[in-house]
Amino acid sequence: MDLEDDTSVLTTLKSFNSFISHTEAPQRLSEGSAGSGNLQSQYKRSMELLEAGERVHSNNRYLQLDEEKKQMELSHKRARYELEKVASDSARDLEHEVDRNQDLLGRLKKFQERETEAAKNLSEQVEANRALRKNMEGLNRKLEERDTRLNTANQTISSLKDDIRELTQRIQNQDSTTSSQTLENQELQEQKHQEVSQLCQSLQAAQSSCSEHIVKIKELERRLALQEQDIAIVKTVKSEVAKVPNLEKDLKRLREDNAFLRKPEDLSREVIHIQQREIALKEQNYTLSSRVRSAERSQNEHRAELCQQRSKTLEEQKKRETQDSLVRRLQKRVLLLTKERDGMRAILESYDSELAPTEYSPQLNKRLREAEDILQKTQSHNVEMEAQLTKSQEETGTLKLQLQTVELELESLKKHQASAADSNTSGTKEELNILRQKIEDLESERQRLEEQNNILEMRLERHILQEDQLLLTRGLEPLGCTPTALQNNMFSSQDLRKRLFIKISVLQIAGHQKEKSLRYNLHLDSSMVPFIALGTEGDYDPIKTRVLHFKMNPTTVAKQQRQQDIDALREEVTRLSELVRSLQEGGAMVQGDSSINASLSLPPSKEVVDLRKQMESLELRNQRLKEVFQRKIQEFRTVCYVLTGYQIDITTENQYRLTSVYAEQMDDSLLFKKEEIESQGQLIKTYSQLTVNLLTTERWRERKECMEEG
Amino acid sequence: MTSTLNGITLKGSAELVADFFSFGINSILYQRGIYPPETFSRVTHYDMSLQLTTDPKLKNYLTNVVSQLKEWLFECTVQKFVLVITCLETNEVLERWQFDIDCDKSAKESSAPREKSIKIIQDEIRSVIRQITATVTFLPLLETPCAFDLLVYTDKDLLVPDKWEASGPQIIDQSEEVRLRSFTTSIHKVNSMVAYKRTDSV
Repeated sequence: MDLEDDTSVLTTLKSFNSFISHTEAPQRLSEGSAGSGNLQSQYKRSMELLEAGERVHSNNRYLQLDEEKKQMELSHKRARYELEKVASDSARDLEHEVDRNQDLLGRLKKFQERETEAAKNLSEQVEANRALRKNMEGLNRKLEERDTRLNTANQTISSLKDDIRELTQRIQNQDSTTSSQTLENQELQEQKHQEVSQLCQSLQAAQSSCSEHIVKIKELERRLALQEQDIAIVKTVKSEVAKVPNLEKDLKRLREDNAFLRKPEDLSREVIHIQQREIALKEQNYTLSSRVRSAERSQNEHRAELCQQRSKTLEEQKKRETQDSLVRRLQKRVLLLTKERDGMRAILESYDSELAPTEYSPQLNKRLREAEDILQKTQSHNVEMEAQLTKSQEETGTLKLQLQTVELELESLKKHQASAADSNTSGTKEELNILRQKIEDLESERQRLEEQNNILEMRLERHILQEDQLLLTRGLEPLGCTPTALQNNMFSSQDLRKRLFIKISVLQIAGHQKEKSLRYNLHLDSSMVPFIALGTEGDYDPIKTRVLHFKMNPTTVAKQQRQQDIDALREEVTRLSELVRSLQEGGAMVQGDSSINASLSLPPSKEVVDLRKQMESLELRNQRLKEVFQRKIQEFRTVCYVLTGYQIDITTENQYRLTSVYAEQMDDSLLFKKEEIESQGQLIKTYSQLTVNLLTTERWRERKECMEEG
Repeated sequence: MTSTLNGITLKGSAELVADFFSFGINSILYQRGIYPPETFSRVTHYDMSLQLTTDPKLKNYLTNVVSQLKEWLFECTVQKFVLVITCLETNEVLERWQFDIDCDKSAKESSAPREKSIKIIQDEIRSVIRQITATVTFLPLLETPCAFDLLVYTDKDLLVPDKWEASGPQIIDQSEEVRLRSFTTSIHKVNSMVAYKRTDSV
């Protein structure tokens, strides 16, 4: 529109200008015409001008109005457009609002539904709440009941704790009493030990005296033997003496027989001799008889002494045995008491350790009762065993007494036997047989009793071991000794043929040996073989256990590997030290020594490496050149041979062979020798040339002929 | 197999104890770093995850020892089972894991199985192995290269098999001892303890 306005303005301007020019032109034209009509013309002109001006004004106004109209229209359009926009916007907004309304309505409905649901849930939850509250009340009631029960239980626990405290106090009291008892026992034991030691000393003194007596007895026995020998000698002498009257008779007879044969002097001499012999024999006889009487007297005296000594030794043996048995019994009682004390202590300790976490009172009571029952049983059993032992010992004592009486009887019988030597043997023999049988019976009884004794002792030891095992199962350390029941039954069966007094002496020796064995048992009981206590880490009883491990175990393998590594490292170290030494000494001479070079493990320097690389490359190049040259020369030679028809080979140094293609046979060739002299060479050269030419021309001709023919 | 029956027989008990030793030794070797951890693989046993070695030589050695131990457990001739850890440089014993075995010999005579739930036994074993794992917290570090050995304390009159030989007890000089839990199959009772060399406080 502006353009239109412009153009309208421009058109008006142009029209105005054109008008003006048009008016000017006529003005110019009209200048020459009338001077009179100037005023009219001027007036006309002015009126025309005014009209033109008015026309222009009206045009202008028209144009302005046009413009305004256009602008109005434009503004109208704009306003309409805007209105329409606004209307559309408002319509859209309305639609939006409608949609929103609908959405909101829908949401409202949903919320209302949710509300109703929530209200339902609420009601349900309220009901559930009520039910839960009821449950809670019930549970609270139960809790209260449980609390009351807990309280009662706690009360019972406290009461039980009090009971336990009382029990522990009682146990402590018992402990104290047991400790006091042990102290008393120890004192008693010490006293007994002292008494026993005194007894032992006295026994040892008695033993020494016994040994002395035994020695004396042996001497007496030796003397007895000697005397018996003497008696035998005496008997032989007596027999000889008895034979003497016979001999005298024989002598007389012989004398009477020989009266006439011999001379009186010889006879007298013989008679004198015989008389002398008679006298000597008689003297011997007297001496022997006196000796026999003295020997018999000494024998009797010795026998009396023997009896006394034997009785003394028997008494002392009896005393010792009783004391030994007493000592043993006391020691066993001490052992039992100490074991009881240890068992109680261990039980207490186990109770103390188990006191805190779990229920302990019924267990405690049970264990106490069980332990007491076991103790009572073992004690009763021990008492029984001890009673049996005492019975058996008493029986052995009585048997020994019987033995002694029998021995005394035997001795008396022997005396009788000795006095009434040769006669009345049959009666005494019967008595001797009876006595022998008695002795054998007594011996067998004694053996049986000894076996019983040993069996009882074994049972006692087994019982002690069982007690130890029971204590072990309760986790306690036993203090049981493991005495081996040595049964040195060194009684041998006796020989019936030996004389009675030897039998008795053997019996006595056996009795002594038995005492020794019993004493050894006593010592063993008292020594209490040390038992390496289990429980400390790693310790073990080498008598019963053995430690084993696998031969190829990881530790040995690792150690071997380590050793091997160490050896290898040492070898390397020595080798390297040798190398270093050699390098220090040799320096440049290292390369000549191949042995060291072989083991040279020094890192090569850069120059060496570069040189080596160069060398390799040169060698490669050389190789390649060789190959290439060979190929090329072969090619060249073949080409020469083909083109020229001649092949030149080098047979040996400075000798060359020329072969032609056209040769009739393969072996046809020309040999040339190269010499240093030039002239000669030239000769050769010219000669060869000539021949070559000759040959070639000839062959060429032949070929040509062949070709022409063919 | 004892898992199908309700009771424990001597053979089943021996197997249980041998299994425990097998896994226990592996655990100890892993925890104490005797062998590098990458040579162990994780397995599930006793309702817990345990480490088992994959080194073939070590596996072979352990199977040999455990199989022989199973026989001895069946015969009730074994008293203790000890794992000894030795320092290779100084040949000193640094640690000693000792398992005391009490065998009820009456089970040898009577073949009637004993009433004990396997689950309870496994629970007990699990607690012992957990304790072994927990001991790592207070045991001193093994800084030097170490090797281990397995010792068995048996009765003196036992016939020594071919691949075994007698050994010393390899006791630690100046040791600290810690007693661990025990478990019992009602035929075999195993008490565990560990002894280690007392380290001088700095």
